[in-house]
Amino acid sequence: MIKITDLEKYYKTDELQTIALNKLSFEVKEGEFVAIMGPSGCGKSTLLNILGMLDDSDGGSFIFNGEEVIDYNERKRANIRKHNIGFVFQSFNLIDQLSVFENVELPLIYTGVKKGERKKRVEEVLEKMQIMHRRKHFPQQLSGGQQQRVAVARAVVNNPKLILADEPTGNLDSSNGNEVMDLLTELNSQGTTIVMVTHSEHDAKFTHRIIRMLDGQKVAENTLV
Amino acid sequence: MIKNKSFSLLNIAGLSIGLAIVILVAIWISFEVSYDQFHENKTRIYEVNNQELVDGDIWTWNSTPKIMASVIKKDYPEVENTVRYFDEISFLFSIGDKKIKTSGTIVDEDFLKVFSFPLLEGDKTRALNGVNSVVITQDLANKLFDKDNPIGQVLKIDNTDTFTITGVLKDLPQNTDFKFDFLLPWSYLVQKGWNEVNWSNNCITTYAKLKAGVDYSRFSNKIKNLRKKYDKASPEMVTYLYPFSRTHLYSEFENGVETGGKIDTIRIIGFIAFIILIIACINFMNLSTAQSEKRSKEVGIRKVAGAKRNMLVFQFLGESMLITFIAAIVAFLIVLLVLPSFSAFTNTSLSLNVSNNWFWLFVIGIILFTGLLAGSYPALYLSGFKPSSILKKTFNKVNALITPRKVLVVVQFSIAIILVTATLTIRQQMEKVQNRQSGYSKDNLVYINIEGDIEKNYSLIKNELLAANIATSVTKTSAPLTEGWSNSWDFTWKGKDPNNKTLVQRFVADEAIIKTAGLKLITGRDFDLNMYPTDSSAVIINEAAVKLMGFKTPIGQIIKDNGMDWHVIGVVKDFVLQSPFQDVAPMVIEGAKGFFNVIHVKFATIHTLSENLSKTETIFKRFNSEYPFDYQFIDKAYAKKFDDLKKMENLVSILTLLTIIISCLGLFGLASYMAQNRTKEIGVRKILGASISHISYLLTKEFLKPIIVAFIVGFPLAWHFMNRWLETFTYRITMSWWVFAISAFLILCIASVTVSYQSMKAAITNPANSLRAE
Repeated sequence: MIKITDLEKYYKTDELQTIALNKLSFEVKEGEFVAIMGPSGCGKSTLLNILGMLDDSDGGSFIFNGEEVIDYNERKRANIRKHNIGFVFQSFNLIDQLSVFENVELPLIYTGVKKGERKKRVEEVLEKMQIMHRRKHFPQQLSGGQQQRVAVARAVVNNPKLILADEPTGNLDSSNGNEVMDLLTELNSQGTTIVMVTHSEHDAKFTHRIIRMLDGQKVAENTLV
Repeated sequence: MIKNKSFSLLNIAGLSIGLAIVILVAIWISFEVSYDQFHENKTRIYEVNNQELVDGDIWTWNSTPKIMASVIKKDYPEVENTVRYFDEISFLFSIGDKKIKTSGTIVDEDFLKVFSFPLLEGDKTRALNGVNSVVITQDLANKLFDKDNPIGQVLKIDNTDTFTITGVLKDLPQNTDFKFDFLLPWSYLVQKGWNEVNWSNNCITTYAKLKAGVDYSRFSNKIKNLRKKYDKASPEMVTYLYPFSRTHLYSEFENGVETGGKIDTIRIIGFIAFIILIIACINFMNLSTAQSEKRSKEVGIRKVAGAKRNMLVFQFLGESMLITFIAAIVAFLIVLLVLPSFSAFTNTSLSLNVSNNWFWLFVIGIILFTGLLAGSYPALYLSGFKPSSILKKTFNKVNALITPRKVLVVVQFSIAIILVTATLTIRQQMEKVQNRQSGYSKDNLVYINIEGDIEKNYSLIKNELLAANIATSVTKTSAPLTEGWSNSWDFTWKGKDPNNKTLVQRFVADEAIIKTAGLKLITGRDFDLNMYPTDSSAVIINEAAVKLMGFKTPIGQIIKDNGMDWHVIGVVKDFVLQSPFQDVAPMVIEGAKGFFNVIHVKFATIHTLSENLSKTETIFKRFNSEYPFDYQFIDKAYAKKFDDLKKMENLVSILTLLTIIISCLGLFGLASYMAQNRTKEIGVRKILGASISHISYLLTKEFLKPIIVAFIVGFPLAWHFMNRWLETFTYRITMSWWVFAISAFLILCIASVTVSYQSMKAAITNPANSLRAE
């Protein structure tokens, strides 16, 4: 599903240039659950942004679903993104002004799904995440675990092929964290490919493979299954 | 403040414009209010006014018979003195070869004792005592005598009478309604035989100075029925006193009750200036509270550290005071820069009177007011945050339908929409009246006042003008075609209801008035004394007069005026004699037996205008050698009728523009804070697939909602105000829906452009960056 080769990314300021990704190469197969680990500043989040087509790279190749997307413009990337990729963030990134239902509905609006169909799909996914009873609440009225479940619901409502999760349990206690990891594992077992950035060895154990990074490079790879 | 540079700049810009407008308007108002307040006796001087019931309406006017002054002085011990003031008259002053035409008036000898116009030379108690004394202003003295001492100099007025200069007045200040370059004594008027002793001719102004301690309203009541004793023709007419110090600002009456006057304009302009300042204050409140998220942490920390609420209130008020103070300095620079053009615009000589303590008191007051008003709401709002809520971040009621900030935006834009609608309505009314057919041909038509030997040599002048093909037609008239100088309800005709007191315009013309003025003849013919010598007692009337008099066949009908029978020989289409803003009044143009003041000359087009003018000047100089040749173009005189409205249109346009600018400064600032506050949301939406256009639409929409509400609030108010204004004209537009549509469209466009810059900026930001910042 994902094949990156010699991927490079620099951050430039007036005085210096920092290398965030240094000729990074790896592959993620369809249906895989991969964890990316490494110390802060090693380039994990940068990598996730590029994989999520939120950011440009400065060199190398990125093949997504058999398509070279490295030179795609914003519009094309947005199109691929909204149909294929779901995001889960450490800080949930729910929109405070919208209710749980409206937050989950958002991706469907942007992919042009009709209203009736949207309602059906949002309710299905809320049911699945067991937060149907909270559908009218606003994010600030929910606990952290509940918020992350809403975020996961939002990530999967469009049935994406790939979920990119950026430390999804980072803001949660262990029991809520485990619930979220169980949810991701279940989604993966149903066929969704997941790439997860994490600091937690515990969480990484839920995955098939761990890619370890340092200074923008892959330094090790452990297969768990 | 320094930390939020753009925020402070927007606030200072808005507040300084607002303050500059308030200061400018305050200078203008203080000038208007100071009119004739320098007279020492101002509280004891009164104008003698009359009231009469006409057609169920009480009419009020301030001109009296010449005899009024002496009667009041003789009959009532409460009166210390009375002085009469004749209309402004123009005379040719000559001394040696020097000839200067200038205007002044004739007054009672005590004029300078009652009113405080200081004499530089001469004795105010005696200067106007002699029949042939004249008092002139310093400016006229300089023109006539350069640096020589004018006192005792002898000069000729209108080449007939000799006068000795007995006093030189300090030039009149600008803030007086009196306008004269010279004063002649009333005894001169008596000598000329112009001092008719009757009660029917109300033609001069009479002032009464009451003795100290006299209650004017009680006295006014006492003289109420004065006419019953003396005036056999109109015994019911009421005489009363009106305070002289109110004449400049008030003295407009409706049905006998004082309804206002210039004070209305002062109130409107003052109110708008104040509103603009409020709008600038609203910007401050909006931008301050929009920053609340940033400031909340500071408030929380200060509170945790033990700061009490009132300490925080003082801190925030201090900040707003500082910003207002800086804005006031900028405002002063703006005022200094703009004052000369503002002076020219208002036709006044305004100046920044820095030595006046009241001025500084006002400025300090307005700074305090602005600083407190602008800072009050933010100070109370920000200082009221509870540290616990700040930590939980629940203080921000994001979903509230009505927030004070939205209400403030609604207020700002309601005012803007009212002003835009007002500007468009005034413009439309202006266009309508300017495009109104005046009913006569104004091209190549000039008028010349009859003075000196013109009357005597009229036939010669006319013949030469026609023979040399300079003019195609020449007509003597009672007044310029653009002005009506005489009217009366005393005209009678067959079948007239004796109670009908409709005013009819009285105009006089000797010959060919229809040809000279290019009037449209409906029936009958023009005056022609050669063919019909009896035309000297003929009249031409307009359609409105035909309607009033109910003539089925107007030609040959008899109209009585001033004890004479006038026969109708023609009917002309209505034309605008006086105000193009009002309906055309019934009008009677009397033939050559009337009194003439003006000559109208219609130039031939075979020569250029300048050739015609120079040849005309030569002819006039030959037959009226003592007087300078002075002429007016009718088209220019007509255009002058629009000056006041044009001025008002300009003023409202400028104020509207400034209101919009200040409102948009606020909106711009608000939009930038909103975009900042919603960075995360925008990022998330983009990640989920929202397009740039969707994001900018989302943000812009948020701002347009309160503006739409402002339309709902502003339009009915604008409709109400402008209809009331339009009611002051009888010839007027009706307000149409598209004025509102255009206003709405304009405001929406301006607001959208203002907001969309920030919206677009937010929309094109890379979502990865916005989330990274979280």
